Amino acid sequence: MLVEQIINGVVLGSMYALIAQGYTLIFGVLDKLNFAHGEIFMLGGFVCLASIALGASLPVAILITAIVSGLLGLMVEFVGFRKFRSADAHITAALSSFAIGLVLIDLSQKVWGAEPVALTLPGSLQTATITIAGLKLVVLRLAILVISLLLMLVLYLVVLKTGLGRRIRAVAESPAKAALFGINVTRVNQQVFVIASVMAGLAGLALAVRTGYSSTDVGFTFGLKALAIMAIGGMGDLRGALLGGLLVGVIEALAFQWGVGQFADVFVWLFMIAILLLRPAGLFGTLVSKEIRT
Amino acid sequence: MMQDYIVFVGVNMVLAWSVYVILLAGSLSFANGGFMAIGAYASGVLTVKFGMPLIPAALIAGLIAGAVGVVVGFPALRTRGIYLMLVTVGITVSVKAVIESIDYVGGIQGFGGMVGTRPWHVIALVILVGCGLWFLSKSPLQRILDAVREDELSAASLGINTVYVKLVCFGIGAFLAAVAGSFYAHHLIHVTPDQFGIVVSVFIVLYAVLGGTNNMWGPPIGAVIMTLIPEVVRGLESWRPTAFGVIILVLLLIRPDGLLAFREVTTRANKSWVTGKADESKPAKAKSA
Repeated sequence: MLVEQIINGVVLGSMYALIAQGYTLIFGVLDKLNFAHGEIFMLGGFVCLASIALGASLPVAILITAIVSGLLGLMVEFVGFRKFRSADAHITAALSSFAIGLVLIDLSQKVWGAEPVALTLPGSLQTATITIAGLKLVVLRLAILVISLLLMLVLYLVVLKTGLGRRIRAVAESPAKAALFGINVTRVNQQVFVIASVMAGLAGLALAVRTGYSSTDVGFTFGLKALAIMAIGGMGDLRGALLGGLLVGVIEALAFQWGVGQFADVFVWLFMIAILLLRPAGLFGTLVSKEIRT
Repeated sequence: MMQDYIVFVGVNMVLAWSVYVILLAGSLSFANGGFMAIGAYASGVLTVKFGMPLIPAALIAGLIAGAVGVVVGFPALRTRGIYLMLVTVGITVSVKAVIESIDYVGGIQGFGGMVGTRPWHVIALVILVGCGLWFLSKSPLQRILDAVREDELSAASLGINTVYVKLVCFGIGAFLAAVAGSFYAHHLIHVTPDQFGIVVSVFIVLYAVLGGTNNMWGPPIGAVIMTLIPEVVRGLESWRPTAFGVIILVLLLIRPDGLLAFREVTTRANKSWVTGKADESKPAKAKSA
């Protein structure tokens, strides 16, 4: 029972980590918080729901969700961040992305209503179980875990090993210097937003498929918690976001197991506050490479 | 109906000012929704469970929230910029979650039975706070605040205790938000933790930013406009968040200083902390400084 709860926690944590990776990638490159990120995550579930309702199969729905989320990311970059690129603009950028988030929530409530909408997949995909070493596991959850971990591994390799990743790291280090070396900073920002948003959209799809419904308020509950996890793991630190997500997921699952589930949120946020005060580089980070930003 | 308008407009004006006071020292607070919740619940418990009159209850609630603000703010204000923003988001979420789990104040169902806010309470509060801020803006204190906001390091080198200044502003902001919250709750009769979530905090900040934060008249006017327009224009009520978001976006894009960003006679430096424009007066300021 305990082991199953821990596995559930890891699955939950992998979804947190997917969103937190987007937050941390955007923060690392632009030094700005993207408060519309949680709403792109929320819309991922609804796009999946809509495409399945229109008769698409799950793989097609995943593809559509990825494309739509990527386009939304481009939109957020253009409306909320393009004009506020200076290092001092972090308050303005936070407010504009919050405004985009408000609009996205309100519009999706107009379309789908404020209540959660049920999402059922054809076939027995959502309920099929598999028994490994005496543990009954839902196949879907394992699939979510594996796919999220793979996505994050791919992102990590892209950032570390490819030309795109080198450009991203250069812009993260200093946009002005990167521009001097002939890097198109706007293009890199767009690419970062597309990558982050696709991951958030797929996380939203995973949450909707796993719980069996889409809801318009997950952006402000689940999505905002990923922001705290990003800070716990270290802002701008991809590995930290992954480990922080898994840690929080497991702690949350254990909290529900032990009957103190209603304090899980408080715990996560207080933990984040403590981390920001005591170890601003994050739980796993060091301050060697990056100074504390003002 | 008229009473509703007066109370809501007045409360929102004071809330916008509570964000403005904190911004005066250069910190952006998303915690004011949380302080408002503390004010609403603390004063509600005092009036309903202990039979205290409203005004002393509101003041005590304000002091409680101010004390919470100072205790939380003391370590939090050491962090700056984006870090402080995250900490204040955390405060609001935590306050809401803690209130939801306390059965004594009704938990998630909410807390009821608070009555007694009269329009003149709110009007008096607005006038008092307005006068206080006006005197502040004419006093030498304003220059200290300007110094702390524009360049903390130089301010500290002039012998200004910057942490103390920011802490006092944070405490006053929390106090104002809590007093406004208690009048708000005693007008609504029944409140739930949901009414004080992070969205409310963001709305309060947006009121202030919409009006413009480089003088004391911007925030309340932003609050009045954003409270009244949806009431006056038929059919806009249900589109409120969308309209609000779009207006804010357009405003940030075309008029980043806010609606009323005229300069007063005082010679203040560049408002880079809210306009997002590059600050020419401090060319040496590196991105990671």
